[in-house]
Amino acid sequence: MGAPELLQFALAGLKNGSIYALVALGFTIVYASTGVINFAQGEFVMLGGMLSVWAHSTLGLPLPLAALIGILGTAVIGVVFELLAIRPRKDGDPLALIIITVGGSLLLSNLARHVFGPSERSLPAFTAGPSLRFLGATLERQSLWIFGLTALAVVVLTVFYSRTRLGRAMRACSINRTAARLVGVDPKRLVTISFALAAALGGLAGVVTTPLTQTAFNVGSSFGIKGFAAAILGGLGNPIAAVIGGLVLGLLESMSIAFLSSTYKDAISLVVLLLVLFIRPQGLLGRGGREKV
Amino acid sequence: MSLLREHWRKLALLIVGAGVAVVPLFVTGTDARYVLKVLSFVGINALIVLGLALLFGYAGQVSMGHAAFFGLGAYASAWVTKSLGLPWLVGLAAAVLLTAAAGILLALPSLRLKGHYLAMATLAFGEIMRIAFVEAKGVTGGPDGLSGIPYASIGPLSFDTPQMNYWLVWGVLVLAIWLAANIVNGRPGRSMRALHGSELGTMASGINITGIKVRVFTLSAVFAGVAGALYASVVGFVSPSTFSLHLSVILVAMAVLGGTRSLAGPLLAAVVLTLIPYADAILPGLSREVMTVIQEWEADVYGLVIIIVILFMPGGIAGALRGVFVRGGEAK
Amino acid sequence: MSLLQVREVTRSFGGLIAVDRVSFDVHDGQIKAIIGPNGAGKSTLFNLLTCFDRPDSGSVLFEGRELFGERPDRVVRMGVARSFQNTQLFEEMTAHENVILGTHARSGSSFTPAALRLPSARKRDDLASQEADRLLRLVGLESWRGSLAADMPHGLRRLLEIARALATSPRLVLLDEPAAGLNTQETTALGEVLYRIRDHGATLVIVEHDMGLVMEVSDEIVVLDRGCKIAEGPPRLIQKDPAVIRAYLGEEDADEL
Ligand SMILES: Nc1ncnc2c1ncn2[C@@H]1O[C@H](COP(=O)(O)OP(=O)(O)OP(=O)(O)O)[C@@H](O)[C@H]1O
Ligand SMILES: [Mg+2]
Repeated sequence: MGAPELLQFALAGLKNGSIYALVALGFTIVYASTGVINFAQGEFVMLGGMLSVWAHSTLGLPLPLAALIGILGTAVIGVVFELLAIRPRKDGDPLALIIITVGGSLLLSNLARHVFGPSERSLPAFTAGPSLRFLGATLERQSLWIFGLTALAVVVLTVFYSRTRLGRAMRACSINRTAARLVGVDPKRLVTISFALAAALGGLAGVVTTPLTQTAFNVGSSFGIKGFAAAILGGLGNPIAAVIGGLVLGLLESMSIAFLSSTYKDAISLVVLLLVLFIRPQGLLGRGGREKV
Repeated sequence: MSLLREHWRKLALLIVGAGVAVVPLFVTGTDARYVLKVLSFVGINALIVLGLALLFGYAGQVSMGHAAFFGLGAYASAWVTKSLGLPWLVGLAAAVLLTAAAGILLALPSLRLKGHYLAMATLAFGEIMRIAFVEAKGVTGGPDGLSGIPYASIGPLSFDTPQMNYWLVWGVLVLAIWLAANIVNGRPGRSMRALHGSELGTMASGINITGIKVRVFTLSAVFAGVAGALYASVVGFVSPSTFSLHLSVILVAMAVLGGTRSLAGPLLAAVVLTLIPYADAILPGLSREVMTVIQEWEADVYGLVIIIVILFMPGGIAGALRGVFVRGGEAK
Repeated sequence: MSLLQVREVTRSFGGLIAVDRVSFDVHDGQIKAIIGPNGAGKSTLFNLLTCFDRPDSGSVLFEGRELFGERPDRVVRMGVARSFQNTQLFEEMTAHENVILGTHARSGSSFTPAALRLPSARKRDDLASQEADRLLRLVGLESWRGSLAADMPHGLRRLLEIARALATSPRLVLLDEPAAGLNTQETTALGEVLYRIRDHGATLVIVEHDMGLVMEVSDEIVVLDRGCKIAEGPPRLIQKDPAVIRAYLGEEDADEL
C-alpha cells in the first residue's frame, strides 16, 4: 500500500475519530459529575443531526442557523432530561441512574422517530465544492469542518474548565463531590450543566457528521458505543484522554479497514472496548490508582 | 406462623402451576395456534427475565447484552440440530455450554472491578455477537438467518404441535423458577441479601462477593441461552435482527418493572409487557387500528416505564405488592 | 513461631502518616491489646491487617503466609476474623441469620447444591443453624435470636458482631473497641466472653479504650501514638512507661493509667 492510500485512511480515521472524541467528551463530562455512564449520550448525536435537518429542510432556515439550532436544541433536551429523569432520583445510586439513561435512550430515539419520521435524512455540506487534494489523498471539505469544530470545542472546553469559576468547580467536583459545595456551587446545578455540555457536544457531533453520513432516529446507539469505547480507551473522567481515545479509535478502525477488511470495522471498537475494560480499565492515560476494595 | 405461610405459598404455587398447565386445553378455535405461539413467546421471555431478575434484583448488576446470549443459544441449538442433525438435547446442551462459557468470560474480569463495568462489557458483547451472527454465514446463515429448524424432541417424545411447544416452554420455565427460587431462598440468596445490608459486613463474613455475582450472571446467561434454544425450535427460524440491543433493553425494562428482590414481580412484568404487542391474542375484540397504535408506541412506553419505575416506584411491581401485603398484615 | 508477624507496616493519607512503620508479633493463644489516643491509627492498622485497606509498605505474615495483597474475604477464610468500630451488621436480618452468614466463610455459598436443593445443602444449613445458636449462647445473646439486628441495643450489637466473627471459625480474632457502649456489668461479661473465646483456641487482638478491661484481660499491650508504636509489653510495665504516660497526658484516660 502506497503512502497516499495510507494517508487517505489516516484522514478518514481522524475524521471519524474527531466525532468519537466529541461523543467521548460527553461521556466523560457526565461521568465526572455523576459517576454514571450515560447510555443516552449517543442519542444526543442523533438529535443534533435530526434537529438541524428539520430546521434546514422543514423550516427552511439557513444552514448556519440550522446547525446552531441542532446544537442548542440538543443541549436543551439534555437539560430537560436531567431535570425530569436524573435529578428526581436524589440518592444518586449509580445503578438506578444507569438504568434511567438506558430508558432515556429508548425513549429519545423513539420519540424522534415519531417527530421526524423513520427515514434517513441528510444535510448539505457546510461549504459546497469538490473534495480537496492533499498529498495525493482526497479530503471532503466537510472533514475540515469536523476537524476545525472539534478543535474549537476542545479549546472552548479547556478555557471553560481552567478559566471560569463554574468550570473550576466542575473539575473540583469530579475529584471530590463535596468540594463543589466548598467553592460555593450547588452540586445539583453542576450535574445539570454537565448534561447541557454533554448534549451540546453530542449535538455538535451530529450536526457536523450528518452531511457525510446521513442520520436517522436509530443511529444513536452506535455513536454511543463508539464514543464510549473511545472514552474508556483514553481513560474515563479525563477530557484530554477522551479526545486522544477518540482519535486513536478512529485511526484503529480505518487501519483495520486498510489492512484487514471493512467487515470488521464496527467490531474493532467493540473488541477494543472489551480489551481495555478487562486489561486496563483505567484506560491508556489513566493512572493506576489503587482501587479501594 | 412462617411455616403456615410456607404452606400457603406452596398451595398458591400449585394452583398457579396447574392453571398454567391446563391453558392449552381451553385455547381452541381458529386462532388457537396464534394464541399458543404468543403464550410460548411469553414463557420464553419470562425465562430470560427470570435470570435478569436474579442479576438485577439480587446481585445489583445489569446486563445490556442478554439478547446476545438468547441469540447464542438459539443459533447453537439450531446449528447442532439442523446442520449437524444431532438430537435436540445435544443442541440444548450446546446452548447451555456456550452461554455459560461466554457468561464466565465476560463476568470474571468485569465483576472484579467495582462499579458497573458489567453493563458496558455486556453492551459491547451484545454488539459483537450481532455482527458475528451476520458475518459467520457458514453457521448462522448470515443476514437471512436459518430456517427449517426441527422441532424439539426428547427420545420418542416430539414437541411438534403448538400445545406441545407451550408445555415444553412452560415446563422448562417452571424448572428454572424452581432453581432460581432455591438460590434466592438458600445460601447464595442470603449472601446477596447480606450484600444489600452491608458490604463490609459481607466481606467480614468471608463471603466471596465477586464469586457469587459471577455465578449469578452465568446462570442468567444460561437461562437466556436455554430460552434461545426453545425459541429456535418453537419458531423454526432464527435471524440476527431478533437479537438486537433493543431487545436487551426491553428485557431489562421487564426486570426493572418487576422490581428488586423478587422473582414473581419480574415474571409478572415479563408476561404483561410481552403480551402488550400481542394484546389481540388474549383480547380478541381489539381492532387492527388499536393494535397498530400499540405497536407504534410500544418502545416509547418501555422507555418511559423504565424511567418512571426507577424514579417513583423503585421496588417495581414487587415492591408495590409487598407494600399492599405488609399494610394488610399490619392492619390485622 | 508467632501466629501473626507485623513488620514495618505504613499507611499514609495524603500528608498524614496514620500508621508509621509499626511492627509487633502476636503469639498463639494470647490476648493482645492495642491502645492509644484517638486518631493514633488503631483502626487503620486493623483495616490493613485484614486487607480491608492497602498499605504503602510493610508486610504481615499470618501463619507464615503474607496477607498483604489478598482480598478481605480470603483473609477471613484464611482464619483472621474481625469486628468493626462502627458495627457492620445486616440490619434487616435476625441475630441468628447474622451469625449464620459468618458460617458461609467456611462452607462457601454452595451455589449448585443450593440451586438443586441437594441433601448436602440442607444438612449444611442445619449445621450452620446449630453453630449459630451455639455462638449466640457463647456471647449471651440466645434470647435475641429472632430479633432484627436493627432492633438490638448498641452494646449487644457489638456482641452479635463478635459472634458473627467467631462463626467464620477463625484462629485470630481482631475486635475494634468491643466494649464501647457497654455498661460496667456488660463489660465484665464481655471479659468473660473474651476468655471463653481464647479457651476455644482462638487468639485475640483487641483495640480498646476501656483501660480496666485492657489491663485485666490482655497478656501484652502495644501502644500507638500518632501512627508510631511507642511501647510494647505486659500491662504492668505499660502502666509505668513514661512515654505512654506522656502520650496520654491531657487525655482523660491518663488518670486511669
Ligand atoms: N480513609 C481515610 N482518609 C483520610 N484519613 C484517614 C482515613 N482513615 C483514617 N484517617 C486518619 O488517620 C488517623 C488514624 O485514624 P484511626 O481511625 O486509625 O484512629 P484510631 O486510633 O482508630 O482512633 P479512635 O480511637 O478514635 O478510633 C486519623 O487522623 C484519621 O483522621
Ligand atoms: Mg478507631
